[in-house]
Amino acid sequence: MNGSDRKFSANVLKVASVVAGLTLWHLVSAYVINDSALLVSPVVVVKTTYEMLFVTGELYPHLFASSGIFFYGFVLAIIAGVPLGFVMALSPLVRDYINPWMATLYTTPRIAFAPILLLWFGIGAGSKVAIVFLGCVFPILINSYYGMRVVNREYVELARSFRLRPWELFLKIMLPASVPFILSGIRLAVGRGLTGVAIAEWFGATEGLGYLVYFAGQTLNVPTLFVGVTAFAALGIVGFEVIRRFEAYVTPWRKEAQGG
Amino acid sequence: MPRKELLRGCISILVGLVIWEILTRLLLENELLIPPPTSVIRSFWNLTFFGQLNKHFAATLIEFSYGFTTACIAGIVIGYFMGMHKWFDEIMDPWIATLYSIPIITVVPLIIIWFGIGMISKVIVVFKITAVAIILNTAAGIKNLDPVWLELAKSLRLSTWETTYKIRFPGALPYIITGMRLGVGRALLGVVVAELMAANAGLGYMLRDSSETWDSPKLFVTVILLAAIGLVSFNLIKRLEQRMAPWRQSAEWSTE
Repeated sequence: MNGSDRKFSANVLKVASVVAGLTLWHLVSAYVINDSALLVSPVVVVKTTYEMLFVTGELYPHLFASSGIFFYGFVLAIIAGVPLGFVMALSPLVRDYINPWMATLYTTPRIAFAPILLLWFGIGAGSKVAIVFLGCVFPILINSYYGMRVVNREYVELARSFRLRPWELFLKIMLPASVPFILSGIRLAVGRGLTGVAIAEWFGATEGLGYLVYFAGQTLNVPTLFVGVTAFAALGIVGFEVIRRFEAYVTPWRKEAQGG
Repeated sequence: MPRKELLRGCISILVGLVIWEILTRLLLENELLIPPPTSVIRSFWNLTFFGQLNKHFAATLIEFSYGFTTACIAGIVIGYFMGMHKWFDEIMDPWIATLYSIPIITVVPLIIIWFGIGMISKVIVVFKITAVAIILNTAAGIKNLDPVWLELAKSLRLSTWETTYKIRFPGALPYIITGMRLGVGRALLGVVVAELMAANAGLGYMLRDSSETWDSPKLFVTVILLAAIGLVSFNLIKRLEQRMAPWRQSAEWSTE
């Protein structure tokens, strides 16, 4: 069997698996658990999605609200995370003093901070952006830190023999060398940021995809719940893929960055 | 950790706490926004000896350990078969990839609708999160096994069972532990989210309860406890990882 044959049969198996799974799901929802408060057929999910997108259009405000919060939190995390990671990599003193606080913040389940942030920033956009920020900032910071730390020594020596000034060394050697790491961090941050959006919108929100999921869960509106979950999955896959493409474009010499 | 680093870390924490205490005592009339550390400690004391902290703590811990243990077993078995058989891998792959890319907490409302507000729904949340991480990593570990080892097994005429037990499993172990490490943090988030949404016990329930009753010291106690659980479990698994796979450059804090 040659390569393309192999690939073809693999794809056939994958498609067959998805089709079989969806059929099973449909049959179970039609004949076994025939209760729309527990499970609905994938057909109903598709129909509801279609209606919310093209008939009533009620998905858009939620989509926009969530995207806005995600965008601000994400951009702020890049703005704060990258320089802080650099400073920590270049100064062991700063790193040692910041490290214990960072390790604590990083390993604490983020949801724990949600009520506190709500207390400080109110139920408006501020607290939500802060929650997304807190989710995104650590992978970005940590990867920027490692990117700076593992710069190839030969590059640095080359720079020395060319007598580059410190800021030239930083701009021409250290920064470009750490770009792939920063991008991996940003890619990891997408997923965490989306989880952050969902968490943030559970607390005192009136719109957004997280609110949609929460509200649908509380009112046993299973079709809408599935639409919300699907929307989150779609956003996650699209965001991840966009950044992966960007990564391949900016750093073509890297074959495949290790995934999370 | 070298001594100097440790010293600086301790100084940093102590100074931070003192500044926190002084600022909150001097600047804030109301403890609602940021309670001083001493109030948090008093609240912790009261909750431990006169309150229900132990009950909530135990509930979360039990839910977490049940889910985590079952997920390890199921994850390793499924991951093993995915690594061994191409066709099984191809059948499972789209489903695992989908499960992996959905932010876990959006599925929590659904799981609560299906399994109720009791312990089972939380165990299932933890199970789902951990299992996906372990399946993916176990499969990768089995697939990336050095072929030289398998040839060695062949030339020693090991049976299939012996090859699995003595070659494949130990070879994949470092990957499995990485899967566990990734699972721990997310599973902790998952269990707290589930408890926060609908429960009558657990740290997530305490979080909701204290934030809705504006009991800030209690809120901070909960947050600090969760931070402690996160730190301890993360470091335990990191140690385990360093022992099982010392050749792997383990990060001080590793990204997911």
